[in-house]
Amino acid sequence: MSTIESKDVHKIVVACDAGMGSSVMLASQLRRQLKGSSVAVEHTPVNSIPTDADVILCHVGLAARARATAPGVVLVPFQVFIGDPAVTRLVTTIKNGGTING
Amino acid sequence: MADRAGTAPLPLDPRAVRLDAVAADVEDAIRQCGRTLAAVGAVDGSYTEAMLERERSISTYVGEGVAIPHGTLVSKDAVRHDAVCVLRFPGGVDWHGERVTVCVGIAARGDGHVRLLSELARILLDPDRAAALRDATEVAAVVALLTPDPDSEGEDASE
Repeated sequence: MSTIESKDVHKIVVACDAGMGSSVMLASQLRRQLKGSSVAVEHTPVNSIPTDADVILCHVGLAARARATAPGVVLVPFQVFIGDPAVTRLVTTIKNGGTING
Repeated sequence: MADRAGTAPLPLDPRAVRLDAVAADVEDAIRQCGRTLAAVGAVDGSYTEAMLERERSISTYVGEGVAIPHGTLVSKDAVRHDAVCVLRFPGGVDWHGERVTVCVGIAARGDGHVRLLSELARILLDPDRAAALRDATEVAAVVALLTPDPDSEGEDASE
């Protein structure tokens, strides 16, 4: 389990298998929700998560692969692509400040 | 993102929209998506198998009766150009326990489909527009729903 303070989050990476479908949708939604903040949101395949990712979002089914690709980085798994409470919590924490565990 | 050349908003080819499709199961629905994408020249025949493989790993159900079947990372070589297809299944398809009535099939090697998927995400968060997509009876209505609002121009280009 890693932690990071919201003020230290500069880049969120949404990872999925191909970086083609669901991660694209979720990343665009996050970008909209975090509009006005300085946090960058990218979508990538789970096998090529960039090294400067501060927080990784991925489907629970890919969490093990994401951890192997980016060990030690805070990882927030989600179940549903639109409106998952874990994603909502992450957005709220980044906007209002706090600690992100994952 | 490496391929900025492919980021122009993707027009949804009306020939890739089918309003009255019928599928026996998930595999049948995905095969129809693959055939539709092939028919508009976006993918070669091997892409369908990649879509099926991707679906077996994690469901592409995204909520509001919508699934977004697409290929795997290695199958990008089977994609000739970024494209999506929209298949409506008014009778519904049992999608691993969820009822799917709209499939948005995706073929992408660049980012040409990003704006359209971004618009789809907005639709799924808006119950009225999600219902309009599920209940569309005109191809033009589907195309209009999935065409990004010009007011949001550039919103997703700030990566």
